Order: sequence, then structure tokens, then C-alpha cells
Amino acid sequence: MATATAAARRARPRHGRAVAGRAARRTGFYLLIAIFVIASLFPFYWMVITSLKTPAELNQGTTSLLPGGRLSLGSYRFDLTQTGATGINFGQALANSAIVALSTTAITVVLAVLAGYGLARTRIRGKTTMLGFILLAGFFPVLAIVGPLFLAYRRLGLLDSYPSLIITYLIYTLPIATWFLANFFSQIPHQLEEAAVVDGATRLGALRRVILPVAVPGIFTVAILSFIFAWNDFAFAVSFMDTPDRYTAPLAIVDLGHSQFQVFYNNIDAAVVLITLPVAALVIFAQRRIISGLTAGSFR
Amino acid sequence: MSTWPDRTGTPRRGVPRTRIAAAVAVAAAAALTVAGCGSSGGSSSGKQVPASAKQTIVFATQGLGSEGTATQAAVRAFEKANPKITVSILNLSPVSDVALQQLTQRFISGSSTPDVITTDVTWPATFARSGWLLNLGKFHPDTSAFFPAQMATGEYSGGVYGIPWFINAEGLYYRTDLVKTPPTTVSQLVSDARAAMKRDPSLKEGLAFEADKYEGAVTAWQSFGAQIGLPYLSNINTAANKAALTFIYDAVHTYKISPPAVSTWEESQVQSAWLAGQTPFALNWPYIFQLSQSTSNGKPAYPAVYNKTGWVPFPNASGGSPQASLGGDDLAINAKSTHQAAAWKFIQFLTSDQTQIARAVSAGDPPSVKSAYTSALYSKAPYFKQEQAVFAAATPRPVTPVYTQISSELQTMLSSVVTGQATPSAALSSTAPTVAQLQATLHSG
Amino acid sequence: MAARQEPAVIAPAPARGQQAPRRRGTGRGRSLLARDRALGYALVAPALIVLLAITAYPLVYNLWNSFHNVDYLNPVTMGTFAGLANYDRLFTDNQFVPALVHTIGFTVVSVAVETVIGLALALALNRAFPGRGLVRAAVFIPWAIPTVVSAQLWKAMFDPQNGFVNYILTALHLPLAGTAWLGGTWTAWAAILVADAWRNTPFMAIVLLAGLQVIPNDIYEAARIDGAGAWKTFWRLTMPLLKPALMVALIFRTLQSFLIFDVVYNMTGGGPGNSTSVLSYLDWQAFLTDSDFGYGGAIAVALVIFALIIAAAYVRAFRTEQVS
Repeated sequence: MATATAAARRARPRHGRAVAGRAARRTGFYLLIAIFVIASLFPFYWMVITSLKTPAELNQGTTSLLPGGRLSLGSYRFDLTQTGATGINFGQALANSAIVALSTTAITVVLAVLAGYGLARTRIRGKTTMLGFILLAGFFPVLAIVGPLFLAYRRLGLLDSYPSLIITYLIYTLPIATWFLANFFSQIPHQLEEAAVVDGATRLGALRRVILPVAVPGIFTVAILSFIFAWNDFAFAVSFMDTPDRYTAPLAIVDLGHSQFQVFYNNIDAAVVLITLPVAALVIFAQRRIISGLTAGSFR
Repeated sequence: MSTWPDRTGTPRRGVPRTRIAAAVAVAAAAALTVAGCGSSGGSSSGKQVPASAKQTIVFATQGLGSEGTATQAAVRAFEKANPKITVSILNLSPVSDVALQQLTQRFISGSSTPDVITTDVTWPATFARSGWLLNLGKFHPDTSAFFPAQMATGEYSGGVYGIPWFINAEGLYYRTDLVKTPPTTVSQLVSDARAAMKRDPSLKEGLAFEADKYEGAVTAWQSFGAQIGLPYLSNINTAANKAALTFIYDAVHTYKISPPAVSTWEESQVQSAWLAGQTPFALNWPYIFQLSQSTSNGKPAYPAVYNKTGWVPFPNASGGSPQASLGGDDLAINAKSTHQAAAWKFIQFLTSDQTQIARAVSAGDPPSVKSAYTSALYSKAPYFKQEQAVFAAATPRPVTPVYTQISSELQTMLSSVVTGQATPSAALSSTAPTVAQLQATLHSG
Repeated sequence: MAARQEPAVIAPAPARGQQAPRRRGTGRGRSLLARDRALGYALVAPALIVLLAITAYPLVYNLWNSFHNVDYLNPVTMGTFAGLANYDRLFTDNQFVPALVHTIGFTVVSVAVETVIGLALALALNRAFPGRGLVRAAVFIPWAIPTVVSAQLWKAMFDPQNGFVNYILTALHLPLAGTAWLGGTWTAWAAILVADAWRNTPFMAIVLLAGLQVIPNDIYEAARIDGAGAWKTFWRLTMPLLKPALMVALIFRTLQSFLIFDVVYNMTGGGPGNSTSVLSYLDWQAFLTDSDFGYGGAIAVALVIFALIIAAAYVRAFRTEQVS
């Protein structure tokens, strides 16, 4: 948020052509925002319309941009009322996804904050090797990992359980979280810690009381990255989760939407709308934290 | 502000690096010991539990929704008839590739469960070759009870590894109001299609079929007359195959009765085109018949095709007798299962007439057992009578362990032809040696 | 834990090119550095150990497989030593190299496109305007949809007959209306790019947006008072400060792009013919279609090596820029 000083205000041009130029730039800016929003949301709007179609209407293809025909909540009813051994309890699937994603996020944030701080602020040796290894861990093709992990989890009795997924997701969330936070911490001015230590704090205390509040944008960014990754995974979940009660949301969506030859786009899209809403709410909540205190000059 | 990663000039000594390397080695060794080395270990086929003992068997199968309900009903009936045996269902993904992956993973781990598994008709030979399936010959199954084309899919190398569960075959759907008599030759189909399109401009195409780069393109090609059974694999560059391939090419590029969009169409899109009344002809599986005749609230769900649907074998592009590509599912037993007797009992139950008819009526899966096609079935689901003509022409894909690899080559070939990137003769002559070689490596390996 | 008796000032981060002051010989000085290091190792250890423990087995598994015959269709040779045969196959089988070329080409284009758009998005979202919160949420929604679903969604959107893209192009009388998008090589790549960019640009945007947060606003104020134009401010002031975040975003987005699988698998299956095959898809085929875990392992190892090379190249590129 720009806090214009009096000098800056005086420096702003006042005469007509410059004002018109500014107005044009502002319109251009809003136009750009509008384009971004439309491009992002239009396919989602499409999914919403499709989710309101009956199977008969679905088979007609694209007839118009607007929701035509009767708006039917049948797909939603179908997705939400499936229970029992022959159906997917969608609410349960959402809960499973939430538990797994939140756990992954929590563990990732804690480990990445510690590791990132260590890499950015202490004088340990071998940083490049460590960073290289951390990066390497995250870049296995999924198919190459699924097989051996399945074997390992089976031996350890972890199949069909939350830890099997949480542990696996850490492979992909920790690397980016650590790299990102290490970078983020290194850009925070040293004076902050030094001031805290002058006041008698320990290194860890300084980390907790001074650095973390300033690093909130970075931490929330990492949290969102991890959450989204865990939330969206299909390949690992389909390999490790046996019973429908343990399915995560993407599994449930695929199962609700497919039979031997048919793809029920209306059911799939209704399910997607249902799972996107909580994530959107989460992002709205978290995005305010992404904008930092640094820009408000809090460390002055 | 410091830049990152920071290079503060601290002199490097080798110690931290070797420390890390040592840690890697230790962790790796530990992890290996914990997890074991791949497929060795896991429970080997231990003592067999007799059928009369109290036990639970695991049945791995696809299908939720109406198929799941039918499976549940069959399981309950079986458990009632065999009070000591409990059947626990392991749900496989409805997406075929994913189900294959799930099954393969379990086999590689050497697990003794699932005991009974549902396989696509093209999988038993592959699983059998890898040693993962039990040879059911010792139970003396009555192989003549099933349609011979599908029974062949479960037989490999002199043994019986798969028992047909339900059958599927691809045939030609035609609109009885637009086409008086179903075409018996391909040229008649083309002229019928064109005539229909000219008479009724609201039709978007003349023939809808699946030509996306996936298994469905191979079945479509086979339904058009391609001969790819085991004896033909050593050289698929035959006149019949070229005729069928040329038909695919011509339908899109020469006769223009099929839109270029078919190169991205699978069963779902062909289904939409048919049910919306956009086409007089479509190639698809029997489930479309049931859908076309479905009603909601007493009114036909798809008025464009309700009571105007006919289904016959697709005319053979090379003029021979029609072929209907065979699909469906087989049942098999895990080679490492310790409940083989009970598992066999379950398979016998699932392939009994009564159970087959019940499943056909509720879930629409056509029975694989010939004796199930009686008035008991027709009275509840009359369209099965018409479907028999297509099943009689059922032609299986080659029963070979390397089928998935051969199919991959065929899919690539079909994809380049339907998109016009290659001509039929060039594509066929370049793919034939690869297919021959894949099949040949089997005998040397 | 008793409060540590540390000297009043922590040794400040040395300026570039200078050595850290070494307090050799002083008991207190050495323990200071050692304590700092001990703390550092302790902080990094949990993450490292977790990653090590989880990835050790898969890595060793694939490495071992790549040097042996692990073809489930050939039980006779199962487990025998194969030397470099699997790696040899990478260069002789006529599939790996084309897939490599496709993958590199796609990665370059998609990362460039997504970086430019992501950067524009991040800059826009960094400014204050009414409804910013909602706009941010709206812009990140594509990312919240599982790839399994969004790939199929875009395939349906690009359907030449019933899909939305051709519907709009025809309605607006734009060129390319009626194209069979997934039926031609370049148009298929374009469709894949659109689907990939739609889904992954928010990732770039969010990382860059966070990177922008570290830049204090006072700098912009000073620049404005000095009369610097918007472009100059961006290029001379914002970009250098954004470089670290940009490097992280680029490395990870490049590597994710290099490993792309879901979109290609669901939209084209590598078709038409093999013209959209990518490396991950080839790996998938080796495991699933061929049941050849030796070859699949070799491809996986090759991919990891490529990943390291790419990452090293980025780090070096960004570091040499700093030195100047």
C-alpha cells in the first residue's frame, strides 16, 4: 500500500495531458485485471454451468454460453448422497483430503522454516550440497516413485492410511518450501536479528519473536503451495488408498465421474465446484497475510 | 541485503560432504533393509485353506454405481449360500489404465491378496506370463459354456487363466427412421450416410466413431474388419487391414462423413453425438442400447433415438464377414492366493446363469455364459435378443503377453492416419515390422 | 535452556568478496562459530533427514533396476545384471530422443509464457485497488482444480465439434475457427500450452508476489521523487531485487514443466502419432505398458540427471549476474 508523502504528492503532475495519461494507464490497468480474472474464471464458470446440466442436456454439446434449459441440482445431489460400499461418501473424501493436506502443510512449514533459516542465516558448510540434494529429492517422475513406495508402505503396514500420503507429499513440498524460505529469510535485513540479540534474545528466540512475524508472507505462500499440491494429487492417492472411505477428493471425483465407458462431466464438475469452494475460501483468508509488514515499514 | 545462496568465502573442507555422503549410504541401506528388495518376499503361496473352513477372500473389481450394486447383491447371495466364506471387495479404479497399474503393483509386491480379480479381456495373457495368475485347469472348468471368442482370451500357453465374466462387443448403431435397412457393405453405409445428411441438414455427421489415441481406436479398427489375431501378427500389412485402415482415413478425409473431431473422440463423445440425434450411424458398445431406450419420469430421456435404435455388426471394409471387436471382463485367481478353493467357488457362482441374468438386468453387463440367453433374460431386458447377433460376430484381439505394447504401436499408427499425418499404406508398412518383432521377442525371451 | 552469553553483536554478514572475520585462538571466538554451525546443522537436519529417509529407497530401487533386467514379461532373465543395456536403449530406441526434444521445446516456451504472464499478474496484484482480495482469490482458482480434471476439461473445451473454443472463435469470426485442435501437431501443442499455462501461471504469480513483498515501498517512493518512469523503475529497481525469488520460481517451474505428464496423457496420449510425446509419458509407458522396470528406471535416472543440470545452470546464471 503506497503511503504517499507530501513531497510525492507535490511531485505528481497536475496538468491536463498528464492527468489524461494517468487515467488512460489506470483504465489499462483495470482492463488487464479484468482480462486476468476472466481468463482464470471462465473455465470454472464453464464447469459450473456443466454441473447444472442433466445427463440428457450434457449429451447435446455446447449450445450456448449461458446456462440453458432447466438448472438442475441433480449432479450435486448425486455426488453428495452417495454412501456405503458401492458409493463414495463425498463428504468423507473432502474430510480426508483436508486432513492430509493440512497435516502436510503443517509439517512442511515447520521443517522448511527451520531449514530455511539455518541455510540462510548460519554459517554451516556444504550449503550447496544440501540445497542440491533437497532439490534433487523433488524431481523424481511420479511413476518412478509410486512403485517402490508402494512396496515400502506395504511392508511397513502403512497402506490405506493418512501417513502414507503425508509422507509422500513431503517429497514434493519440502524442496520448494525450503528453497523459497531460505531465499526469503536471506532477504530480510540482518539488523532485525541484531537488534533482538542486543536486547538479550537467543538466536532461536530472535527467530521466533522477530523474524517470523516479518516472514509471514513467505510462510503463508509456502503453506498455500504445500496445501494445493497435497490437495490435488491423484497418482499417489490412487495407489495407496484401498477403501473408498479413505479416498481423497480427486479419487472421489474420478470415481464419481467414470463408469466403464461413460464420463459424467456433470458429476465431475459438480464435485470440482464442491472442492474448489473451500480452497477458494482458504485462499481469500490467506491472501491477506501474503502482503507483508515489510512494505508497511514496520522495522523502522 | 545478502544475496543467496550466500558465498561468504568460508573455505571448504571435505568433511561435511563426506559426512553427508555417509549419511546417504547409511539411510539407503537402512531403507532397503526395511522395505525389502522388491518382489522377493511377501507371502509365498503358503498352505491352502480348504473351501469348508471359515475364511475371507478379497475380490478386486471395478465398478461403483449400478455395477457396484449388482456386485454387492451377488456377494450377499454368495455369502448366504456359503455361510463360512466372506467376500471383501477391493475397489479398483474405473479408469482401465489405472486399474492395470493398481493390479500390477499388488502382483509385484508378491501379495497373496486379492484372491479373485477382474481383468480386462486383454490382460490375462500378460499376467499369466509374469507368473501372477493361477492355472485354473486343475478345477476342470467347463470352457464350452462360454462364447468361444471370449474363452480364448483366458487361455494361454495350454493353461486356463481367465474365466469370462461378461461380454462386450462393438457394433454399428443405426437410426431406424433415417436408414430403412441396415447396410451390409461399407459402400452402402457411406451412401446411406451421405443421403441422410443431405436430407436432414440438422445432422452434424454421417458416422461417429472412436479414433482418439487409445485402446478404443484399435477396437474400432478391428470392428471395421482389421485382422490382428495371433496368426496375423507376424505380418499385419494385409489387404484386409489396409482396407479397414483406408476406410478410417476416407471416412474423415475423402467421403467426409466423419468430422476431424473423431481423432479426439472416445466412447463418451460418440455416445453424446448419438443420443443427441446428431448422426445416423455410430460405432459403440451395447450399453448405448440401454441408454437410448431409457426413460425419465415416464418420458424418453433421449427422444431423438428412442425406439429408433438398431444395432448390427459393422460391415467388413474388405468385404469379408463382419467382425465385432470383443471386449468385456474375465475373472482370475491370484497365483499366490491361499484361498484358491473358495475363490474358485466364488467364480463359479458369478458365472452361474441366475447371477449372470441378475447382473445383466440391473447393470446392463451382457452375460458371458451362452446358457443365460433365455426367455428369463429377454422377458426382463428384451434388447439382449438383438444384441446376440453382434456377440455372435465377436472377434478377440490377439491373446499375447505383449498385447499392451503391440496396441501402443497400433494406436500410434491409427492416430497418424486419422489425423492425416500418414497415408494408410505407409503407416501400415512401417508398423508391421515393429509389431512382428514385438511378438517375436516373446519366443526368444 | 539458559540464555546464552553471546557478545553484543553477532558477526555481521561480510560484504561480498571478504572473508568472515576468524577469531582463531580465542576460546570464545571459536565456540561462537562452532555454536553457530551446530545450530545451523540442527536446524537443517530434520528436513534433510526426512527427505533422505523417504527418497533413499526409491532412488536406490530405480538405480538398481536400471542396471539390471527387470522385465516382468521375461521371468527367466529377471534380476540378472544388464550393465549399461538399459541406458543404451535410451539412444537407440527412437523414442527417447524425440520425446526429449519435445519436452525441452515445450519447457522453454511454457516457462517463458508463464513467467511473463505470472510476473505481470504479480505486479498487478501487488498494487492496491478495490476488490484486490477477491481478485487474488479468483486468479488462484485454476490452481485449486486437480490436474486430472482440468486436463479433461480443456480437452472438452478444445473439441472441434462440441467444444467451447471453436464455438467462441466461430461466433467472433476469428481465424482458426473449426480447427481440429488436438488433431494436428502444432495445434495440439498450442492446446497443451494453454491448458498448462492456465493451471500453472498462478504458481509463478504467487511466488513472485511473495518476492515482491520483500521490497520495501520506500524505494519506490524515492524513485518516484527522483522522477523515474515506470519502466525504468521496474527494470532497474524491481527486477534486481526480485531476482532471488525469480530464480526459485524459474527453477521449480522449469523442472515441473520438464516432468509434465497429466496434461499430455489426458489430452493427447502423445498423439497425433508420437508428436506430442514427452519424457514422463515415456517413463509411464515403460512401467505400465512394457512392464519393463529396468528401462523405466533408466529413464527416471536420466530425468533426475537432467533436473540437476537444469538447476545448476539456473543457479550459475543467476549467480554470475550478481557478481557483475
